[in-house]
Amino acid sequence: MSSGDQRLPLTVITGYLGAGKTTLVNHLLRHADGRRIMVLVNDFGDIAIDADLIESQEGDTLILANGCICCSMGGDLFYALSDALDRQPRPDHLLIEASGVADPTRISEIARAEPELRLDGTIALLDALGFAGLVDDAQIGSSVVRQIAAADLIVVSKSDLQSPDALSELKVQVAALAPTARQIEASFGRVPLEVLLGSLSSAEVDEIPQGCANRDHAGHDHAHHDHTEDHEDLYSRWSLSRDCIFGQQALAEVLKDLPAGLLRLKGFVKLDGRWALVQAVGGRVEIESLPRVPDHIKHTTLVAIGLKGQMDTAELDRLFSR
Amino acid sequence: MQTVIYAARKIITMVPNRPEASHVAVRDGRVLAVGSLEEVAGWAESGQAGSERAGSERAETGSGDFRLDESFADKVLLPGFVEGHAHMMAGGVWQFTYVGFEDRISPEGVLWGGLKDIEAVTSRLRQIESELEPDAPLIAWGFDPIFLTAHRLNRFDLDQVTMDRPIAVIHSNFHLMTVNSMALEMAQYDRNTNVMGVDRGEDGEPTGELQEMAAMFPVMRRLKIDIRSLARTEGGIRAYGKVCHRSGVTTATDLINDLPLEDVELMASITGEESYPARLVPVLNAHTAPAEEIAAQALALREKSTDKLRLGSIKIITDGSIQGFTARMRWPGYYKGPDHGIWNIPPEQLMTTVETLNAAGVHMHIHVNGDESSEVAIEALARALRKNPNPDHRHVLQHCQLADAAQFRKIRNLGLCVNLFANHIFYFGDKHYELTVGPERAERIDACATALSEGVPLAIHSDAPVTPMGPLFTAWCAVNRVTPSGRVLGAAERISVEDALRAVTLGPAYTLHLDHEVGSIEVGKKADFVVLEDDPLSVDPMALKDIGVWGTVLAGRLQPVS
Repeated sequence: MSSGDQRLPLTVITGYLGAGKTTLVNHLLRHADGRRIMVLVNDFGDIAIDADLIESQEGDTLILANGCICCSMGGDLFYALSDALDRQPRPDHLLIEASGVADPTRISEIARAEPELRLDGTIALLDALGFAGLVDDAQIGSSVVRQIAAADLIVVSKSDLQSPDALSELKVQVAALAPTARQIEASFGRVPLEVLLGSLSSAEVDEIPQGCANRDHAGHDHAHHDHTEDHEDLYSRWSLSRDCIFGQQALAEVLKDLPAGLLRLKGFVKLDGRWALVQAVGGRVEIESLPRVPDHIKHTTLVAIGLKGQMDTAELDRLFSR
Repeated sequence: MQTVIYAARKIITMVPNRPEASHVAVRDGRVLAVGSLEEVAGWAESGQAGSERAGSERAETGSGDFRLDESFADKVLLPGFVEGHAHMMAGGVWQFTYVGFEDRISPEGVLWGGLKDIEAVTSRLRQIESELEPDAPLIAWGFDPIFLTAHRLNRFDLDQVTMDRPIAVIHSNFHLMTVNSMALEMAQYDRNTNVMGVDRGEDGEPTGELQEMAAMFPVMRRLKIDIRSLARTEGGIRAYGKVCHRSGVTTATDLINDLPLEDVELMASITGEESYPARLVPVLNAHTAPAEEIAAQALALREKSTDKLRLGSIKIITDGSIQGFTARMRWPGYYKGPDHGIWNIPPEQLMTTVETLNAAGVHMHIHVNGDESSEVAIEALARALRKNPNPDHRHVLQHCQLADAAQFRKIRNLGLCVNLFANHIFYFGDKHYELTVGPERAERIDACATALSEGVPLAIHSDAPVTPMGPLFTAWCAVNRVTPSGRVLGAAERISVEDALRAVTLGPAYTLHLDHEVGSIEVGKKADFVVLEDDPLSVDPMALKDIGVWGTVLAGRLQPVS
């Protein structure tokens, strides 16, 4: 958010070797959309940043033409994070590409502990073709299971190469490991930025028509996005802007019932005499008290993105008019 | 060049033909001869080969062109100890206040008495606090809750020291710390905090104990506790030399370092001073770049080696620690407690990394704690060596704490070395018996006797500052395998004092490809000695750790500790 929250949002990207982390990171950097994303990678052996994105290199740091930065952690997360927080100007979003076997909670817990960081989410990638074999691997299985269990969003790559039957079996298996996480199928890392990174620019907030509930506004203008991928029509959006006041308890109840296909929900909710910042990624919901909101926010304002056909926008309307 | 003959009560050489001697002759910083006075004096009398200024120097005592030095007449000389696995930060960490259970001597020679209860800890902190600058945080290290069992150190204890400045007491394992209320406040920890590792009491309030990096991060950041810089400053490098010196170590590793060029230059310059008391072997962190680049960097570093700074080896870390439940264990896993076994590098990436580095001829140290990680590392090395036979590679499995006999046989067959963590038997043995791996596997932890009987080149280490550097103590652990509870942990894995002494001298020298220069007292090798107050081969083996270290000799230069 543009104001009210100065914390640096942190997203952890986890997944075993070959699951598509590098592709996803490249996709994100290519579609950073003006955000200065800083990516920390375990080492440069894990990640190959597309050469055309790179402007210059300073030691272990790659400077990208669009203002993004990519740094090697060299196995030392503590200093990489400290340096990221101390960097001037501070990046808009921090992305950590964990090693193929790291326990992502060891990284995400830092974001929960550090007052200047905000955990934006843990995204796990899994390879639809290789996953079943990995889970059963005596040496790797437990690491892979831990990654999936820690995730808020699970991006299933190479799903187009897997048979429909095997794919639905896989989904059941993954859902059992991560009951509250949301699964997204994607080829070549093509997932919209707003799904991967929850932070919402003020421009996006401005776009929300004030005063009425909106559903699935297909004509929504994303001119400032580079959403040219054909996978864009896999997602639907919903937003709400309404002059209404929620009770704290009522809000918590509503957020417990979010529809299954919802990937992210974010916005400001007017409570009695104060504001709450609401952020949901996958099944994880955070409600935080805010001292103030950006000037242009006049009343309860929420946006959501979900999987088309799975996020029931009518259900969202009903929930928030309760 | 003058020849000096040192007479000693005993010289233990590590050389089979003359394992013990009374005299050693030193010339040009090297061992000229070892034997009786009559034998070694023969060099001075016969021809002066290699002495360009024969006759120009007058003997002070004795006959011929040599000087007989009797300083060590009541001392015992051994090859200078070689610490094959320790860290440079063992020096710099002394900028914090020591609050451990055992007595320790700082690099500056100050004895810091062991603190036997929490009262003693807070009392020392109070004293140090009164001497600090107004805005400085109070940071302490070495605290070990295993030994202070009355109650768990908490913020209330530390609040009694002061409420007006933040305090952080880093535990001896560096994975935990206890902080006072002010430090909690700075990190914004309170009863609403729900972060893994922020310990909370029955009242829901944080107790002050912070476990693991995530919970410690906000405090370390705000108190500017910079562990990395401890190993990178001139002061840190000098302090490490003193730590080595006091424990009788003349060759010491720094077993993982990113080795940027400016750091290498600083180390080369400092170790190049004649008075710097040890030879250093910093080992390159292989996790910072792709294997091909690491190989190139290691080979380039090798060329930068100097007489007292040896470069070119690399380190790979495969898993975590046993006491942290993060070592990778084979079936049946951990005994009690959580299974967090964590790879630090995916096994298939280990395979390719090891293959690339072995093919490039780079010497590797591979950290393996659990028996699954040792298994995978052995397999990776077997494949790499099958593909690119690399005679005399001497790749080392570091720690290798839970390897079983079958793994040691494979290790031998592949020509690998092990450097076992003998100090661990004392410091963590009881916990391993009762909690982490259970009685049977705890007894085979750091199986020195099996390694030797299977013919594996053996070194033992301290991993300082995780446990204190002190090769005599390390040897004591391998010889006695006694734990703080009085248990003998794996009686059959005890080794003889002779073998243990070899495992802190020639053994580690071999694992560093330095056994042709150091590790034994024999003709041609560096005149690097440790000078002891008593004879480790005649004292009660339980007293091995208590033998005083007079100092060392480095390249013939006498370096008394006091």
